[in-house]
Amino acid sequence: MTGMKTGTKADDGRRQGKAVDPLGPNSEIGRKLKQYYDDLVSEEVPDRFAQLLAQLEHAKPAGKKD
Amino acid sequence: MTVSQGFKADLLASIPSLRAFAVSLAQNADKADDLVQETLVKAWDKHESFQPGTNLKAWLFTILRNEFYSQMRKRGREVQDSDGIMTARLAVHPAQQGRLDLEDFRSALEHLPEDQREAIILIGASGFSYEEAAEICGCAVGTIKSRVSRARARLQDILKISGDDEFGPDAIATHVIGSSAA
Repeated sequence: MTGMKTGTKADDGRRQGKAVDPLGPNSEIGRKLKQYYDDLVSEEVPDRFAQLLAQLEHAKPAGKKD
Repeated sequence: MTVSQGFKADLLASIPSLRAFAVSLAQNADKADDLVQETLVKAWDKHESFQPGTNLKAWLFTILRNEFYSQMRKRGREVQDSDGIMTARLAVHPAQQGRLDLEDFRSALEHLPEDQREAIILIGASGFSYEEAAEICGCAVGTIKSRVSRARARLQDILKISGDDEFGPDAIATHVIGSSAA
């Protein structure tokens, strides 16, 4: 698996100050963590949130309650 | 003062990340979406306290996290009552050839204490620096580091991954490569 090292070295160079990255691409945990999270991030966002922001925008145009 | 269109657009763009973080914290999709909703309302109300040019995502994550812990306190931690069920579900088979099922990973993550889970998510998945994560969690950088390292050790333990078996350079080799490259 020495072939992996070359790619990793370049990665480490880009992320200076994080030379030892225990959650980097060489770590099974690190890779799973990103996969887990990226799956969540790429989920479709329900309409309720856009609607909520539209409501907020129209509810308090002056940004004041009193 | 009205909320600017730019701020609204930035909020909209942050929703996927907020949902991912919320699910990671709450481990429940419905609760997560309620958290996101609450976060958006709070962010909207306090938009004037956001300093343009600073990290909006970190600001929003801080709000969401505070909301999560305040809800948890109100509920008397009923969220974490399922330890028995959790353990039963954790009949995880060892990683084969470094491959690991995402479902197994998910349940292992669920098994971490919240402080460790949030730390490893912020650092390992959300792309925050240790400094930013410390700010979000309101603790010292060293605390985040130790939580991340405990979380990682615990996950490896649950998933029966030994650090040495991971392919690629081990920690020491990485360190050597890192320092010679720097």
